[in-house]
Parts: sequence; C-alpha cells; structure tokens
Amino acid sequence: MRIKLTSILVDDQDKALEFYTGVFGFVKKHDIPVGEYRWITVVSAEGPSDLELALEPNANPVGRTFQEGLFKQGIPATAFEVEDIEQEYKRLRMLGVVFTREPKRQGPVTVAVCADTCGNLIQLYEAPRN
Amino acid sequence: MLTGDTFARLCRAREILRDVQDQRVTLDAIAREAAMSPFHFIRQFRAVFGDTPHQFRIQARLDRAKYLLAVEHDSVTNVCMEVGFSSLGSFSDLFERRVGMRPSDYRRRARCLISVPGTVPPELFPGCLTLMERAFATFEKR
Repeated sequence: MRIKLTSILVDDQDKALEFYTGVFGFVKKHDIPVGEYRWITVVSAEGPSDLELALEPNANPVGRTFQEGLFKQGIPATAFEVEDIEQEYKRLRMLGVVFTREPKRQGPVTVAVCADTCGNLIQLYEAPRN
Repeated sequence: MLTGDTFARLCRAREILRDVQDQRVTLDAIAREAAMSPFHFIRQFRAVFGDTPHQFRIQARLDRAKYLLAVEHDSVTNVCMEVGFSSLGSFSDLFERRVGMRPSDYRRRARCLISVPGTVPPELFPGCLTLMERAFATFEKR
C-alpha cells in the first residue's frame, strides 16, 4: 500500500487549476472531463512527480458544508512544504495572495497560512533544516 | 495580512451572499456590515474567495437551482423565483450558459440518475473520489 494521491475540495475547478498552477506553481498532470466536472490532478515541479493532488469539486452539499465550516474556523484544509517560507510569502503576496497568518516559527518549523481563492486556507511550512 | 476581525466579516458576508432566499441583500449593505467601503470590500472578497461578491451570488443561485431541480418537485418557474431571478428567460439562458443545458433538461437528466428518492446523484454532485473512477472509465473507452 502506498500514498500516491490526495485531494482538496475546490469551489470551482477552472479557478482552482489556474490558481494551483499559475500561483502555487504546481504542474497539471491529469485533466479528464467527467460530465459537468473534470478529474484534475496536479503534481509539484519540485517532485515527486508521481504524488498527485486532485482538485475535487465541492459540488456535493456535504463537502461544501465541511469546507466552509473549516474555513470559517480558520483551519487549513491541507499543508504544503516550501523551501524558503519568507521568500515564498513575499512571492505569493506579490501575486495578490491573502495571508491570515504571517510566517511564524513554531518550534522547529515556520508556518504561514493563506487563502487559495477556492474556499480553502492552506498552511505553508518550512521544514527544519538538518 | 488579514486580521481575524476582517476574516470573520468576510466569512459572514459570504454566508449572507450564499443565502439566495434573502433577496433584499445589496452590496452596499453587506459592505457596511463588513465595515468596509464597497470598493475595498469587493477587492478583499475577491482576493480571499476568488470571485467578486456579484459573481459569487450568481454562482450561489445557480448551485441552489441545480440542487432544487435535481431533488425537489417545484416547477422550473418556482425554482427560478426561489433562487431570486424574476425572469424565467434570463434564468434559463444563464443556466444553459453555465451548466450546458436548459433547466428542464437538467432536471430530466437528474431524475434518471436518482435511484434513492431524496438523495443527490453522485454524477451531478460528485464528492469523494467518485470522479476518478469515472474519469478512467471514459479513458478506457477512447
């Protein structure tokens, strides 16, 4: 058993693909139409290239309630590791990304939280250097 | 950086905009409640939620309409009124542009897909990873 796929709920798949590739900088891997929706996955350009994130529509009312509830409580839906959080924070701010938490050291990691414009808060963290 | 207060106000504004049954909502009133100028409110809302309040409101109406058409038994006209459109023509046109079919066709399709009354068909309201299976099933056929 392996972990190769994870997913995040998004309120609009077009908008999500644009943000996750154009702003976060991930690379589109799959984009297959399924009726009104699409099976979209992205991978990180920094690897591993076979670990996919699915941009999953929150069309189901149950998913939407969950997503909006977490957001409102300020809880990030997921977290991505970055090489240099201060630099990433500056880069994303320049692109108009809104942060609810500026980079802050929490023990060995430095953490920041931003909105992904698709209904989620995303935690970005710089892992401790060995 | 967004302060906790502003963040909470924007979340509240989104809830008000989502409630499509309340048709008296105006942009000025929501901005006032969020303690921002309308201009600043639109900008902040868009930066956080990716849509302007107006775009968000229209999408909320269409989402609600889709749900009502699929699950409830109201006529298309009643659904149109309930989600805040006053003209059936403009509702149908907008619905078709965004969803790709007329509201009546959407309803017909939804009805064919519902096997348990009162539930939402996963084809129209996908959740979880139902899309993956179907995506690769269509892939096979190509």
